[in-house]
Amino acid sequence: MGKIRTADELDSLRQSIIEKLDPNKTCVRICMTGCRAYGAEEIRDAFDEEIKRKGLEDKVEIRETGCHGFCARAPVVVIDPQDIFYQQITADDVVDIVDKTLIEGDIVDRLVYVDPVTGGKIPFAHDVPFYKEQTKNVLRNCGIIDPTNISHYIARDGYAALSKVLTNMTPEQVIEAVERSGLRGRGGAGFPTGRKWRLARAAAGDTKYLVCNGDEGDPGAFMDRAVLEGDPHSVLEGMLIAAYAIGTKVGYVYVRAEYPIAVEHIKIAISQAEEVGLLGKNILGSKLSFEIRIKEGAGAFVCGEETALLMSIEGKRGMPRPRPPFPSESGLWGKPTNNNNVETYANITSIILNGADWYSRIGTETSKGTKIFALAGKTNNTGLVEVPIGIPVRKAIFDIGGGIPDGRKFKAVQMGGPSGGCVPEAHLDLPIDYGSLEAIGSIMGSGGMIVMDETTCAVDIARYFLSFTQSESCGKCTPCRFGSKVMLDTLTRITQGQGVEGDLELLESLAQQIKDTSLCQLGSTCPNPVLSTIKYFRDEYEAHIKEKRCPAAVCDALCSYYILPDKCQGCMICLRACPSEAIEGGKRMVHIINQGKCIKCGTCLSVCPARFSAVAKVSGEHVPTLEEPIPVSTVTKGG
Amino acid sequence: MGDITLTINDAPVTGQDGMTILEVARENGVDIPTMCYLKELSPIGACRLCVVEVEGSRNLVGSCHTPITEGMVIQTHSPRVVTARRMVVELMMANHPDNCLVCDAANQCELRQVAADLDVGLPSFKLKKHYYPIEDISPYLVRDLGKCILCQRCIRACDEIAKQKVFNLAYRGFDCKVIVDLDQPVDKEVCRDCDVCVSVCPTVALRKPKKQGEEKKGPPLILSQ
Repeated sequence: MGKIRTADELDSLRQSIIEKLDPNKTCVRICMTGCRAYGAEEIRDAFDEEIKRKGLEDKVEIRETGCHGFCARAPVVVIDPQDIFYQQITADDVVDIVDKTLIEGDIVDRLVYVDPVTGGKIPFAHDVPFYKEQTKNVLRNCGIIDPTNISHYIARDGYAALSKVLTNMTPEQVIEAVERSGLRGRGGAGFPTGRKWRLARAAAGDTKYLVCNGDEGDPGAFMDRAVLEGDPHSVLEGMLIAAYAIGTKVGYVYVRAEYPIAVEHIKIAISQAEEVGLLGKNILGSKLSFEIRIKEGAGAFVCGEETALLMSIEGKRGMPRPRPPFPSESGLWGKPTNNNNVETYANITSIILNGADWYSRIGTETSKGTKIFALAGKTNNTGLVEVPIGIPVRKAIFDIGGGIPDGRKFKAVQMGGPSGGCVPEAHLDLPIDYGSLEAIGSIMGSGGMIVMDETTCAVDIARYFLSFTQSESCGKCTPCRFGSKVMLDTLTRITQGQGVEGDLELLESLAQQIKDTSLCQLGSTCPNPVLSTIKYFRDEYEAHIKEKRCPAAVCDALCSYYILPDKCQGCMICLRACPSEAIEGGKRMVHIINQGKCIKCGTCLSVCPARFSAVAKVSGEHVPTLEEPIPVSTVTKGG
Repeated sequence: MGDITLTINDAPVTGQDGMTILEVARENGVDIPTMCYLKELSPIGACRLCVVEVEGSRNLVGSCHTPITEGMVIQTHSPRVVTARRMVVELMMANHPDNCLVCDAANQCELRQVAADLDVGLPSFKLKKHYYPIEDISPYLVRDLGKCILCQRCIRACDEIAKQKVFNLAYRGFDCKVIVDLDQPVDKEVCRDCDVCVSVCPTVALRKPKKQGEEKKGPPLILSQ
C-alpha cells in the first residue's frame, strides 16, 4: 500500500479494497484478545492446520479479531457469512466445525448458545439476546475486523470522517458538530467534549498537545482496552479530528503497560497509519500535520486522573497537581493540552460521518450517544456491552446480562468502580445517565458495572473498594492518604466483628470531610462506595456492629461452618480435607465440626459433594448440631 | 495586572491578577493556617489545611494554590471549613508520634502550633503510626521519618532553592514517604550540608546532628511562613 495523498485517493483505495472482498466468502472470526486467556491461540492453530489439511486455504479466511463482548462464553468464534455463533469451544471442536460448518454448511449443535430462559438453541449471533439488545456504535468494528490490518478499517468507512473533516469542514465547524452532538467525556466525569475542545482551541500559544487517556484502572472494567485492542484506528482517527479542530501537532496515547495487546495493536496501527501517510506531515494533502507517541503507564490507578497522567508523561511521579490552571490552559510541559478518554475519541468518527443530529437522537435529554459497559460480577453474561445512554439499569443486567446465576437474588450493582456507588434493587428502573445516577449517590463512571447478589456483603464490598483506593492513593494529600486509611481500618474492624457504636458516624463524618478537602478526584470520590452502601444497606452495617452478624455470610470472623446432620452421609471427604483436624466423625457417622479447632478456611464447604451439600456457612443463626458423631442411619433424612 | 474585587468573610477586598486566595487573605489580615505552603516555594496543595469555602464550588478549595477571580465569594472560617481543617490536623496528629514532651521541636513545632490553634486535642480515632529507624549516618543531616508529615517542603526546597533534588516521594497510599536515592539512608555523598531542608521542616523530621558539649545556639532558623 503506497502513500495516500488526497481524499480522492483514499476513496479509490477504499473502493478497490471493497471490490476485492467477497461478501460470501467463509470467514472464521476468532476473538484473539480477551479469549486468549481461554485458549483462542490453540483454536486458531487448530483451524489453520485443519483447513490446510482439507485444502480449504482459498475458500476460508481465519480472521483474528478484537473482543466480541460475550466474555462469559469465551472462547467465542463467529462464522460468516451466516453469522453462526459458537461458544466455549476448544481446539478439539475445530475438526467438527471445519467438517460440518465450513464444508457442509451445517451447524454443530453442541457448540451453539442455549437460551437459559427458554432452553432453545440460538445458532446465529444476531439472535442471541446478549447481542440483540445492544446498539453497537463505538464497538461497530470490534470483533468484526482484524485490528492489525488497516485495510479492514478503511473498508468499513475508516478515515472517511477524517477526509470529510479535512476537505469540507473548518475546525470551528468540527467543534460545533461535537458540541451539538452532546457528547460528554467517557472517562467518568462527563465534561462536554465540544466545550473542552473549544477551550483548548482558544488557549493561547502555538504549541499544544493532545492526550488520549487509556489508563483504565477500575477493577473489572475493560472498555478502553477492548477499543484499543479491537479497533485502534478509530481512536487514532478521533485524535486526528481533534488535532485538526484544536490545532495540535503532537498527540500522546497513554496506555497501561498491563495491556500488552492494546499496546501492541496501537503501535501497529500508528506505524500503518504513518506508512500510508494518515499520520505525519500534510495528511491527505491538507495543512494538518500530526504525530502520535505512546506512553506506557507503569500501573498506577491515580494516573487516570488527568493532571497525574500529564506528570507521568513528563516522566515525573504520577501525582495530581492543583487545578486551576486546567490542562486546557497549562498542561503537558506547561502547554495547553486537550485530554480525552479512549472511548470519547472513538465516538468522534460516527458523529462526523452521521451528523451531530443523528448522534444527539440517541440517549437522554442531557446524556447523548451510546456507552460501553463492562458487565462483571454475579451476572450470567459477563462481558462488554454497548447500549444507548438512558436504558434502565434493569435492562442492562437482566435482559443483556441474563440476570443472576443460580437463581439468586439481585442485591445491587456498583457503577463507576471504586469512585462510584451502588444502585440497589429499589432503583433498578433508573435510567443509566450521568445525572440520574449522581442523584442517588452513584456515578456513570467510566463504565464498570459490578453486579452483586445476596451472597455479597455490603460492608465487605465497601472495604474492598476502599482498600483498592487506599493502596492506589498517591499519598500526596492528607485526607486521602490518612483519611481513607482510617476509614479502611474502621471497615476492616467491622468486618472482623470488632465494630463499636459510633463507627458509622465516624465513617460518615470522615467521608464527608475527605470528599470536601481532597486534592483530586481519587480522594474526593473514594468514600462514595462507603457512603452509598451505608445509605442503602445500613441494616447490614448495624448487624455487623451490634449483633456481630454478617447477613450475607461473607465476613469470616462473623461466620461459622456447620455440618447439617440430616444431610451428612458420613463420607469422610471433609474430615480428611480439614487442615486443622477440626472435624470429628467416622465412616457412615454424621460428622461434627469442633468450633474451637475450626479456623474458618471453608475447605469443608468446598469439598462437600454438591449432591450432599451438608456444610453450611452461617452467621448469627442457630443450627441444630449433635453432641457427638452418631451413625448416619439413625438420623432422619430430610430434603 | 488589573485589580480584582472579591469578598472574603463578607468584606470586599481587592487583589491583583495572579494572586492566590491565601495571598489576598493574608494581605487583608485574615489568617488561614497552612502547613505545606511556604511563600518561597511553589504551592502544591498537599496538606489541605488551607482549604476555604468558595461560593459555587462543590468542594472546598485549597487557598494556597487557587488564583482569585472577579467576584469570588470566600469564607475562610465557616463551620464547614473549620471542621474540615480540624480533621486534617487530627489525621496528621493521629499518625504522629505522641512524644512531644521530649521532642526537639517542642514549641517550635508547626504541627503542634496549628493543632493548638484549632483546638485539636487527642485524636478521636486510631491510626497506625509509622516507625522508621532514625537515619543518622550523615554528618550533616538526621532524618526521623516517623515525624514526617509529608508536606514536601524539603523536596521542594532542595529542588527549587538548593537546586539539588536529593529528596523525592516513593510508595503509595499510607506507605508514601520521602526518600533519598532509591530509598537509601541519607549519607554525606548525596547531601552537601546546605541546611535548606532543615530550615523548612515544620516538625523535626529533619535536623542537624547534635553535638554534645558544644555551646547551644539560638532557635532553629525558620525561613518564614
